[in-house]
Amino acid sequence: MVRFLLMSDGGPAPTEPITATGTAWGNVDGQAIAITVFSSVKWWGRLWLPLVFLYARLVPSSTGKLGKLSFIHFARWTLVRRIPYNGPPQRQETLSYPRLFFESNFNGGWEEYIDAFSHILKPGMKAFWGSSYGFPEPLPTGPFKDYIKENELEVSHYYSAYPQATTTMVLAALKLAPAFEAFKHQSQGMPAAEFAAAWEKFLTQVQGEL
Amino acid sequence: MSNSSGQAYAFMAMTPVMDGHERELREYLEAFDQQTSPFAELSQTHFGRWVIICDWVNSRTQPKHDHLGCPYLIFTSNLHGSIDDYLDALCELEQAQAIWSHCIGCPTPAAGKALKAYLLHNQLDTGFFVAAYPNASVAQVRSSLALRERLIAFATSSQGMGPQQLKDAFDGEF
Repeated sequence: MVRFLLMSDGGPAPTEPITATGTAWGNVDGQAIAITVFSSVKWWGRLWLPLVFLYARLVPSSTGKLGKLSFIHFARWTLVRRIPYNGPPQRQETLSYPRLFFESNFNGGWEEYIDAFSHILKPGMKAFWGSSYGFPEPLPTGPFKDYIKENELEVSHYYSAYPQATTTMVLAALKLAPAFEAFKHQSQGMPAAEFAAAWEKFLTQVQGEL
Repeated sequence: MSNSSGQAYAFMAMTPVMDGHERELREYLEAFDQQTSPFAELSQTHFGRWVIICDWVNSRTQPKHDHLGCPYLIFTSNLHGSIDDYLDALCELEQAQAIWSHCIGCPTPAAGKALKAYLLHNQLDTGFFVAAYPNASVAQVRSSLALRERLIAFATSSQGMGPQQLKDAFDGEF
């Protein structure tokens, strides 16, 4: 008989955004949480940040730890040097300092997210935000959380196409689907006893994705 | 710039809000929910948001403080596939017209190619974009999640079944 165990955050999707701790409700859609932050950048960040972005893109291993934060669906950094002009009555915005825009789409608690960012990505955090005015060290996390809260914007409307799914669930499902299709194909026409053995083997193989 | 990661695209536009329109726009956006969201009509959208920024937050440590001349509407989307197709679909939505008609410089009517050109004019390119599953479409994610749910349910309910019963149940379910 197959002994079937669920992975830690697997199983049927929760129906309430139970993990939305520490953030405004506007920033939440199901399990998904939005962070939107602007920070003002020192003069040298105008040169430094494009190099950081380039390095992060060209050397994927440099951001490997980011991938290990298995609760981030999508995240981005944008250096805003100018605001597009559309003619009057818009004023032509002059920025004394570029602004660093950061957004993240993640699951889990806001506090836990910042904690993980600070502890796991300490060097990366300094690379990305070290040129921002007022940026404290990533650790201890208290001042850094205060910094993010001070610079965070509340979302007016936030949407996730699969709000009840965590990043881990999505990655597991994407891995599981082709494995299941292969099993289904291979097990077609098998006698019952052989099928039962193959099913047990399949479940053992994909246990981590369930 | 790095708006892409695999098949995923990070779009961002920042458009100026007309004087006196910020409250009405905010209320309009806040009234959307999962079902009524314009994003729900755009099958390429993984995650999307609208944010209104009224002024910069200035750090106490910066020598000079900047202030925005008006509120701005920030629109970001994490989408799969062609940005051209996405903006074409977005700019046909009634809600898109209702939203960007509150913005300075937006064409009248706020629709179609003119609205698309307006959004592209106000686009801000991404410096670094991270996607956990850059090559998966929204449909693929949803169908994979649904299959996983069914497999979990089947694996649970089929425990203790004999070989023939298991095979019959499997054939019936999948």
